[in-house]
Amino acid sequence: MANPKTNFAPAIQVFKPHRASLPPLIPYLKEFWRRRAFAIELSRFADKAEYLDSKLGKVWLVMNPLLLAFVYFLLVTVIRGGSTQKTGLSTLAHILIGLFTFYFASNSINGGALSITAGGRLILNQAFPRALLPLSSSISAFWQFLPTLPVYVLVVVIGKVFFPHTQIPGLRLSYLWAPFIILCVGITGYGMGLLFATMNVYFRDTNKLLSYITRIWLYSSPVLWRPEILHGWHKIFLYINPLGPSLAATSDVWIEGRTPSLGMLVGSVVWALLAVLIGGYFFVSRERDFAVRI
Amino acid sequence: MPEELAIRIEDLSIKYKINIDTKKTLKNAVMRASKGEKVRTRIVEAVKHLTLDVPHGSVLGIVGANGAGKSTLMRAIAGILPPTEGQITVNGKISTLLALGVGFNPALSGRDNIILGGLASGMTRAEIEEKTEEIADFAALPDGFIDMPVRTYSSGMYGRVAFSVAVNMTPDILLLDEALSAGDASFKEKSFNRMRELCAEARTIVIVSHALQTVNDLCDSAIWMHKGNMLAKGKPEAIVDQYLKFLDVGTLPSNLEDM
Repeated sequence: MANPKTNFAPAIQVFKPHRASLPPLIPYLKEFWRRRAFAIELSRFADKAEYLDSKLGKVWLVMNPLLLAFVYFLLVTVIRGGSTQKTGLSTLAHILIGLFTFYFASNSINGGALSITAGGRLILNQAFPRALLPLSSSISAFWQFLPTLPVYVLVVVIGKVFFPHTQIPGLRLSYLWAPFIILCVGITGYGMGLLFATMNVYFRDTNKLLSYITRIWLYSSPVLWRPEILHGWHKIFLYINPLGPSLAATSDVWIEGRTPSLGMLVGSVVWALLAVLIGGYFFVSRERDFAVRI
Repeated sequence: MPEELAIRIEDLSIKYKINIDTKKTLKNAVMRASKGEKVRTRIVEAVKHLTLDVPHGSVLGIVGANGAGKSTLMRAIAGILPPTEGQITVNGKISTLLALGVGFNPALSGRDNIILGGLASGMTRAEIEEKTEEIADFAALPDGFIDMPVRTYSSGMYGRVAFSVAVNMTPDILLLDEALSAGDASFKEKSFNRMRELCAEARTIVIVSHALQTVNDLCDSAIWMHKGNMLAKGKPEAIVDQYLKFLDVGTLPSNLEDM
């Protein structure tokens, strides 16, 4: 008879012909929640396996975006024709925090996009809610993102010592908004990861396309430029970008030291919800088809 | 579904569409669309109109030549492949061993992989942590190997760990695909005994095997599949006999010596 441990999963499961439609959502979400440890451990073990031999490997995770930020900083200041002491550090800080946050989302999307096609054996031989695999990629992206925050703080603190006239604020209450915005970025990244993971099952070159999309996306996001340069109807470019509001809010919190505007906060939440609902719908309604197509 | 049934399969058909021509890429799709070409595909009917009841506590063997649809049927019962027609009802927690070492990461130790494999098959963290020692003991690897990376294992050792994870999970229904071939003679005997234990605990087991003696020894019923059809169902000895006659090799020792 059914084992008492199966309380969460329905004791009786019925498998019917698959049409591109959602499975019963409540059992799916219960099973998803019950198996969350799998996604967490999968991410932890993948990380462990990757950096088992190289202790420097983890340092590179931080160094890579840090060096990239310096490159972009040079580029931006050269194009603009130099900057004063007052604006120089804040430009660097803005690029740093923007790039770190952007990379959190894009790592989550890129990792998620590959998670299904790379997890072929697992998908062919085990039944579980497939949305756990992109989740595992998002968790990995988060653990890569986290150590970049102290690096940001370190750069700003050192910068403030050498350039006391900078605009960058010290400790502010506005920093309390940071976890909320990071959560929005994380959910947006996960949702888009689900969407691209589904696409990658049907078109295997999606991830190649994705690398171009990511680059264009970065340039059109308020990372290398300040959100304040957009005025009037141009502000629409912030709102139609899934990461626009949350990156603008990031800049408000970390660089301006103020509470993000209501528009940006609502925009961040709306994009997070849209991403996870649309991505989730595409993914979950097609995931029973994945085993056939892999 | 009647209470005493673990698995009920009603008029199950599974078809695949296989893409013959090119890789499935966006580029190819656009190129084809611009030339007005269609993708050449082939439909493979892996399982055709199969109806079967498996009661709780029974051990069912599935025999058949390559391409008979055995593995497809197992994946459908596990809920991995959706049916094309018909339906499958399963009552109980399923554990699968359809391929060895699924979810294993070769760079990690055997112990880490036991945890990963257990979580992949649906155990909670507490359950698998409680059982890790037991599973490691069951695998009985040579000194210290359990804490070494799996990539350093021989294929036999790899199979032992994978098999140990699957049979120590206390599932209601266990699906095994060619799994009993893991390890050496002594491990085979051990896994055989473990299988008997599971049978004695009234768990439902479905075994796909080419080792026909296993089917004879362990199963209390068997089916013979050929090209997606179920040709016969009945006592294992009778089914194995028919299958061997069909293969036109008689009861050669070579088919029976491999347990």
